[in-house]
Amino acid sequence: MHQLKQYWVAERLDKDLGDPWTPENVMSFKQVVEIDEKEEFPHSEIEWLYNWKLQHYYVPAECGGEFTSFEEFLAFVRVLCRRDQTIGIAFTTLFWSFITWMAGTEEQKQQLAQYIKNENGAMCLGYSEREHGSDLVGGDLTAQKVPGGYILNGEKWPINRATISGISYILAKTDPEGGPKCLTLFMVDKRQLNPDNYYNLPKILTHGIRASDMSGIGFKDCFVPDSMRIKEEGDGLEFALKGFQVTRTFCAAFSLGAADTALRTTLNFAIKRVVYGKKVIDIPQPRKVLVDAFLDILICDCETIGAARGFHIIPEQFSVWASVTKYFVTTQIETMINSVYTVLGSRFYMREEHDWGIFQKVLRDNSIISMFDGSTVVNLHALMLQFRQLTKQRSRRKPEAIADLQKRLEAIFSLEQPLPSFNGEKLELFGRGADDPLQGLEIALQQLEAFKETTDTDEEVLEKLIVLGNLVLEELNAHDELIANSKFEYGHDQSPELFEVAKTYCTLHAAACCLQMWLYNRTILGDFFAQGEWLVLSLHRLLRTMRPLPYSISDVYVENTAQELLKLYKEDKLFSIVPFQLAHSPINEDRSYATSKLQLQA
Amino acid sequence: MQLQSSSYKLNNQATATTTPVETVQNWLIKQLAEQLRLDPASIKLTEPFTRYGLDSIDAVTLVGDLEDWLDLDLPDTLFWDHPTVEKSAKYLEENYDLADAVSNIESEETVTETPINETQDNNNDKKGWGNLFGRFK
Repeated sequence: MHQLKQYWVAERLDKDLGDPWTPENVMSFKQVVEIDEKEEFPHSEIEWLYNWKLQHYYVPAECGGEFTSFEEFLAFVRVLCRRDQTIGIAFTTLFWSFITWMAGTEEQKQQLAQYIKNENGAMCLGYSEREHGSDLVGGDLTAQKVPGGYILNGEKWPINRATISGISYILAKTDPEGGPKCLTLFMVDKRQLNPDNYYNLPKILTHGIRASDMSGIGFKDCFVPDSMRIKEEGDGLEFALKGFQVTRTFCAAFSLGAADTALRTTLNFAIKRVVYGKKVIDIPQPRKVLVDAFLDILICDCETIGAARGFHIIPEQFSVWASVTKYFVTTQIETMINSVYTVLGSRFYMREEHDWGIFQKVLRDNSIISMFDGSTVVNLHALMLQFRQLTKQRSRRKPEAIADLQKRLEAIFSLEQPLPSFNGEKLELFGRGADDPLQGLEIALQQLEAFKETTDTDEEVLEKLIVLGNLVLEELNAHDELIANSKFEYGHDQSPELFEVAKTYCTLHAAACCLQMWLYNRTILGDFFAQGEWLVLSLHRLLRTMRPLPYSISDVYVENTAQELLKLYKEDKLFSIVPFQLAHSPINEDRSYATSKLQLQA
Repeated sequence: MQLQSSSYKLNNQATATTTPVETVQNWLIKQLAEQLRLDPASIKLTEPFTRYGLDSIDAVTLVGDLEDWLDLDLPDTLFWDHPTVEKSAKYLEENYDLADAVSNIESEETVTETPINETQDNNNDKKGWGNLFGRFK
């Protein structure tokens, strides 16, 4: 088992699920592709997970469950989604229970914990409506107050697991006048409703995640008791938005799971396929594409694992950090998957030819992640509204505040440090300008400078890190200058240029997270991580999107990173900064896409 | 009710003639008028912010601006819970030492805030972030 205990649940789950390339195993690639083709909800696979008691890890320890840290949660959702995002997403709608853990009464929490742990309960989220999309306040589903409860009327659509789940979190309009306090959130337990007063909308045929229960729910004069209301009337939007801070961040887990499979199945091909007398993996261009894909995963790891831990330390900053992670990781992985298919060639498009067509399924399934729980546009918009505050806060940092910031950074990024319990009551709708990873950039640069005297880090690596780190700082300063000298605008008619500025901010944020992650974990994550060559390549890769830089910074580092990628592949370890052991795969070495003649030439 | 038309322009002058509550009200009216491009005289103390086109997330952003201006920690749902100029100013008066907060602003405001506002006003003909990429041209 990995030395870091928070990865044990994921390791155990992956081992018990077994190698996904072995067709007989539950959730093998062969099976999940068949499920997808049939477009039928994967009941028996979900049941397998309940029998494994995975649902207990969605219930906080203080409510009688096993959930203790988001870092642990991230890791097991990731191994689930490396097999199948459809099942991963279907099971993980359980995560919406966070609304109750955060804002529910003691009684609501107890009922929900019982329902999840002992009755294999599931939930879904009914926020969006056919006519209104992301405009929650514009919704038409109403809840009219009557003695003892409310009467619901209207429809929510589209909703993942709307039909096959017992509890729906429904956002309803209690004040017809509108405004930010017009919405109230209900934890609607379908089993307590009169079946004549609600109905499920038909399954929606979708591009990917085809076996999902993507549908909707409608209410017609449906009575729900007061006990199903979350907090008070009018508090709906506040808890909807705070709940999104939690779930948006962990959409990154879905993406990272898909990324592992996209890269691994492509390696299966590139390592055996021979063209022009060489294995694909040994041809420079595809080799570089695969290394870049690996770097993308490492970069997204630093951003996501940092965020998962950050939730326990600085929940009040997550109106910013959740938006950054949701935007950056999901789109970076989408692009990465689109890049590696050039290596896989036409097989990326085939539905049975290579590894049962898992790649084309990953490509389709994964494309919803950047859209749901708040789209790319919604996240960038939420971020840009906070830019002035972020810029002001950064310009005002005082020495004593910087000392505190350094302590928080260590608590967040040092994976060996134990995490305090998550406190959802500390979530805030805006972050008051705080963004620790980026605002601690100068601290990180000072630490790098100090390393010149104190560590055995390779001199050349350190020098490159200092140069690149200072370029990140230059870009951040330029960003702040831009914001300080521009006019602020409310509303949704923000300029398209500002969306690009927001994307750049997210890229800088990821660069800062990579630096911080390396600084605090050099002694515990193995030699490859410690040497820091991957970090040089990662910072270079991120900076190249915003300023002209030479194409390559070191061919030697690229080659060493390729060697690490191949090592993890051969040892069946997760492509990650924490490369824990996956289920062992028997597929290495025994199949070939090349004719024997071609192999002789090679 | 005559407050917004008579004292709005006095904002930068000594507030000896206005109470702290009025100072806050004037600031809110000025912010709404500038950001939503409205005539300040058209903004009523008792009308909900949303009627002027301030949406729910902007109302949260506005709390941040007010915190900055008063140098106070305020609830993030302040303008959701007290959705008019009059109600929010009253809430602040009842829960914070406004006189103290407002007196601190007087000394700092011209030093820190003015330069940024000056450059903004020169670009009023361009909407929003129109001048954003000026430095690259």
